[in-house]
Amino acid sequence: MSPSRQIWDQRDYLEERRLSVRVTLIQVLFGAVMAVYLMTFWYLQVVRADYYRRLSDSNHLRRVTLIPHRGLIADAEDRPLAGNRIAFNVRLDREKAGDPSALLPTLGRVLGMGEQTLRERLSRYRSRPSFEPVVLKEDVDLREVAYIESRRLELPMLSVGIESRRDYPHGALAAHVLGYVGEVSEEQVRKDVQGEFDLGDVVGRAGIERQYDPALRGAKGWKEVVVNSHGREMQEVGEGRQPNPGRALRLTIDLDLQAALEEAYGEEQGSAVFLDPSSGAVLAMISRPAYDPNVFARRFSQDVWQTLVGDPRHPLQDRVSLSKFAPGSVFKIVMAIAALEEGVAGPGRIDHCNGSYRFGEKVFQCWGIRKGGHGWIGLREAIIQSCNVYFYRLGNEMGIERVAKWGRLMGFGSPTGIDLPHEEGGTVPDPDWKRRAVPRDPTWHPGETISVSIGQGALEVTPLQMAVFASILANGGTVHRPHIVRSREAREGVEEGAGDEAVVRTLTLQPSTLALIKDAMWGVVNEAGTGVRARIEGHDVCAKTGTAQVYRVSRDIDADKLPKDKRDHAWFVGFAPRDNPQIAWAVFVQNGGHGGTVGAPIARAVLERFFAKRDLTGGSVRVAGAPALR
Amino acid sequence: MLQARRHFGSFDWVLLLAALAMSIIGLVVIYSATSGTPSSGAFERQVAWLGLGMLALVVVLAIDYHTLSEFSYVFYGLGIVLLVLTLIFGRVVNASKSWIGLGTLQFQPSELVKIATILMVAAYLGREKVRGLGFANFAAVSAIVGVPVLLILQQPDLGTAVTFLPLLAGACFLAGIRVRTLVILALIVALTLPIVWGHLKPYQKERVKIFLEPTRDPKGAGYQLIQSLIAVGSGGVAGKGFLSGTQGQLQFLPEQHTDFILAVLAEERGFIGSGLVLALYFVMFYRCVATARAARDRLGSFLAMGVACVYGGQSLLNIGVVLGILPTTGVPLPLMSYGGSCLVSSLIGLGLVLNVWMRRLVN
Repeated sequence: MSPSRQIWDQRDYLEERRLSVRVTLIQVLFGAVMAVYLMTFWYLQVVRADYYRRLSDSNHLRRVTLIPHRGLIADAEDRPLAGNRIAFNVRLDREKAGDPSALLPTLGRVLGMGEQTLRERLSRYRSRPSFEPVVLKEDVDLREVAYIESRRLELPMLSVGIESRRDYPHGALAAHVLGYVGEVSEEQVRKDVQGEFDLGDVVGRAGIERQYDPALRGAKGWKEVVVNSHGREMQEVGEGRQPNPGRALRLTIDLDLQAALEEAYGEEQGSAVFLDPSSGAVLAMISRPAYDPNVFARRFSQDVWQTLVGDPRHPLQDRVSLSKFAPGSVFKIVMAIAALEEGVAGPGRIDHCNGSYRFGEKVFQCWGIRKGGHGWIGLREAIIQSCNVYFYRLGNEMGIERVAKWGRLMGFGSPTGIDLPHEEGGTVPDPDWKRRAVPRDPTWHPGETISVSIGQGALEVTPLQMAVFASILANGGTVHRPHIVRSREAREGVEEGAGDEAVVRTLTLQPSTLALIKDAMWGVVNEAGTGVRARIEGHDVCAKTGTAQVYRVSRDIDADKLPKDKRDHAWFVGFAPRDNPQIAWAVFVQNGGHGGTVGAPIARAVLERFFAKRDLTGGSVRVAGAPALR
Repeated sequence: MLQARRHFGSFDWVLLLAALAMSIIGLVVIYSATSGTPSSGAFERQVAWLGLGMLALVVVLAIDYHTLSEFSYVFYGLGIVLLVLTLIFGRVVNASKSWIGLGTLQFQPSELVKIATILMVAAYLGREKVRGLGFANFAAVSAIVGVPVLLILQQPDLGTAVTFLPLLAGACFLAGIRVRTLVILALIVALTLPIVWGHLKPYQKERVKIFLEPTRDPKGAGYQLIQSLIAVGSGGVAGKGFLSGTQGQLQFLPEQHTDFILAVLAEERGFIGSGLVLALYFVMFYRCVATARAARDRLGSFLAMGVACVYGGQSLLNIGVVLGILPTTGVPLPLMSYGGSCLVSSLIGLGLVLNVWMRRLVN
């Protein structure tokens, strides 16, 4: 072996050794990284396993709220007034849409909508997770559903969703009784400590829908679902909780009477209530102008809402329980009762009317039927002829305290307690009230008593209070709390049959007083009084007309030629039949002129329907005793 | 003849069985990860690829690695041509032109070029009986590795390109790179990097930034990272069970049957499963190293170590991404991930190692 070969071999050997060392180094490096990885796996899968398990669960488990069906609302004979129907919405799946703003022109063309509207609807969902579809167009008809469905291939991002929607089959009928529903307000959600509401929930916003919202709404359920990374539901897990459907409500409203009232009321503005005097049950109730509650059931009702709120005629205002007006001559009945019960005047008191009444510096007019006034006139005739002078003098003799006392006993000045969300109490003025309410002129002037005596001045009542007053006269002194929902359980949370219908108080009136009042009111309609247009042969309608002054007119101006909004408000308040009355009412027509002219025919139309129905069923149409729903 | 029989008798069954076990585990996880997803059918295709890969392994095993080494220029040259053709005629998948089709058969030439490059580097360094790696040698090795890497970067397929780097680093280290060369290299990199960075377009810079810091892109790389960690961690010790991993089954995990297949396994099989997989990779790497030590010549050693560096490095890269230790690169896990090209290439690589082991005692 040559030395060079030997050296070569030695170098070779050394190189082999070095190579071996380097191989070992690489091996150690690999082993070390593997060891780090193993420890990382151990840390993630053993030490932190619970933490990641929770993350994994919240990743794929989602709690889905199940919305119950809203309770139905039916009339006294179970005919639906408010229900639910299926509505189809066109929805955009943002996960399939890519950049939705690039799609807007196409979508606008397909859906027949403006790009601006679409953009606004999209922007509402900006903060929502992208698997949640955007409702672009709601409540489309079947033709449009078919159009969208048949374009699944071209427009895979569009789909048709189904949702339950509140439906009022009779449109604007009894709108202010039923109210309407809408999405829960953000404030309601914020104040909701029990977690009952989620944004987007539908709740009652007015009327019965609002008053009985907890019962109608039912209880939400939930289920837990497994979702994939796109948020699509894959399967349900476990039981969850079924939603508890909303309670159905049966109203005391009789659809037939309501329809008759709606038709008879025509284009007038104002309100009317018909009550069952034996229970306070509301048989029909109208407020005009009305609105169609169906428009609020839509998701995008903002513009409609603005239109209704901005309407100078205030269609949303419930003129039955929220609007207050002077009772006018109807208050003369209260005056008569007060005088008789307080013994200020006997039934036989007669007085002389020469057309005006001078009190101090001021002259109060009688209404201008003929020059020279009513002459010598008794109490009954004074009611029938609605003689102002007779009651001016009576009021002056009685004094405001006694007038106010009887006004309050008859239910004026405080809310009736009807099952509606809001109610006004009105005003029965007296010196006490004036001190509190009019600080710049706190003393009561005797002249004000004169005004109140004929139902003017600061006196303010709601049409509902007037109807309750009529039913007190009808039933002989029982003040009922009026109500719209029939079942007491739903109304007050008490078992059915646990005592009488809510009686606020019972007045003990002398039979002679009642007899005189009834006789006088019968005379208003059946003799040559102011309410002859409500006369129905054989049914002894009793009523009193009233006029609330809007604009002081001198007797030379023909009131019928005034512009509509300057005309007086008209009242027509009464009950029927005279003996054993079964219906009591107050009809109020804003700027209607005279109660006998516009109010009486409206009442008459409802009464005709009422009596026709009663005669058909061969007896009473009283609803109070009938079995309640559920 | 007698010797030849003896060589076959000393076949490295451990490495082969570990590779087979790994591939079969991969198949099971692919089945679980793709059942009920749009990628179903992947399992059947992968079974076919496994068969093809085993066939290739046997072919590579049958030819003496010295013969293969002699033709390494041809393989390498063919590989470069394929890469160029891919750039011209390739099919674009995931915004990267890295696929080429022969009829219905689709594969990534870059995976096969790995083998050709390993062969080429081993052939070059196996012949050099010099102590240490001079700058010229280093430049040559860099060129051998650099040409395919640059071509692959053109596709652009950063992940596959990165898997070539362990080969360059490992080969230079084993050949004994001089400290002087390393210093010069470091200087060159330090000087050119700012210039290169300055010439990058803003979107390219953004990509590099996201690569280094995935949380910059919470919907892309950051999302993958979080979902991968949830999958691994929620598996616990024993796992959620076959077909029961919610992260994988419900597609929260992206690339669940390719780059993140280990996360699916970790979720369904728990720490026991992931530990087993790590053990199998360690065994395979260990057998490759043992082959390199036992090889009868430098060529054999460099071949075995080349395969160990490329596929071992790729495994470490993939697992590091799954564990959130390394930035997301889009590198498949050898033998386990879905993808025929990678599986076949890994099996050919192991075939080379088995080849060296089998012929370690022949003169």
